[in-house]
Amino acid sequence: MRTPGRQDGDEAELIDRARNGDSEAFGVLVERYQRRVVGVALAVVKNQDDAIELAQETFVRAFENLKNFESRSSFSTWLYRIAANLSIDFWRREGRHVILRGEDAQSEIDRLPSLQGDSFKAVSRSELSERLKNALEQLTPEHRAVILLREVEGLSYDEISETLQCPRGTVMSRLHYARTHLRTILQDLSVN
Amino acid sequence: MAECSEISLLLGAFEDSELEPNEMQEVAHHLARCDSCTAMLADYSTIGRGLRTIAPEPILAGFAAAVTARIDALPQPLPARIRRRTARWWRGSGDIFGSGFAWGTGAVAVAVLTILLTTPYARRYAARRLAPAGSAVSHEVAKLEEGVAAVPEALAQRDSGTQAVMAEDSQAIISRLEAEMPSVAVWSEPQSDTTVIWLPDQP
Repeated sequence: MRTPGRQDGDEAELIDRARNGDSEAFGVLVERYQRRVVGVALAVVKNQDDAIELAQETFVRAFENLKNFESRSSFSTWLYRIAANLSIDFWRREGRHVILRGEDAQSEIDRLPSLQGDSFKAVSRSELSERLKNALEQLTPEHRAVILLREVEGLSYDEISETLQCPRGTVMSRLHYARTHLRTILQDLSVN
Repeated sequence: MAECSEISLLLGAFEDSELEPNEMQEVAHHLARCDSCTAMLADYSTIGRGLRTIAPEPILAGFAAAVTARIDALPQPLPARIRRRTARWWRGSGDIFGSGFAWGTGAVAVAVLTILLTTPYARRYAARRLAPAGSAVSHEVAKLEEGVAAVPEALAQRDSGTQAVMAEDSQAIISRLEAEMPSVAVWSEPQSDTTVIWLPDQP
């Protein structure tokens, strides 16, 4: 998988050509980043068909707004940010979940029981996977997004911060909440 | 030594190697003595592996083609369409004949155009072509040509402060140009390899 960062010469040339309307040059960029852009969308919206549709829309929007892209920043992170914004907007339009913010989220963390020990030794891998899927469903989109962007897509905290347009400290606290919450759910299931 | 409550807040970032070096050291130091925090870190690691395992591998067959089709379907201004078609033709000709041929053709075309547009013949021809017969412009062009024909005579007659050093090979090298008159015209005449300085009559 390509490491995100400032674009190399090849990428800069592709971006320049795409800026001048060359859709085939843009197609190369699409091939390069499609996997991760879909991953960013999947981190928020869960459903793969929705994620792919949103990822396509991300690339179309990016093509239309290439003139606004400043080459000083990373093209990949710019794409991820568009994908995250579209996905979060989509999720909000759907209105299927309650979003916990700020103090509410912190109070949720405070209510979590203190945990100790290696919780999942007795759980088989397939069972753990099933439980993780269910546990993920219980996270808010914000917490789900940060944990998936970190663990699945491998984005750094700074990249997550830029993608989700929130401070790095918020990324850290959301990650802490998500991990603690998932661990609690899984541990409860293990005990039961 | 830091408390577990403080260290537990840093465990995730420790797992992600996103702490400052001194914090990394502090957490590592704590973990060496604390079983509960070590177990929590192991759980985080297990959760991370589990999340990577359950992450669906998106089906991306035809994805890029679908994006390109959507982009092509966008309403676009005419110049953008022309640029894209030109770019495609250019790449196509490069594929067929090789990029060297395409670039060579382009360079020759540019050179020919430059020569045509910068030679006095072409300029004169263009002036004639652009100016309809009987128009004010064509009249001026004719007047200018008459002026050129009259230059040798004018040069012979003039006796002002203008000094021009003429080379013997009939090409004029103007080292100094002085005139009390407000307007002096200088141009080249390639047919006779001469440079002409034209001074209008005194009013």
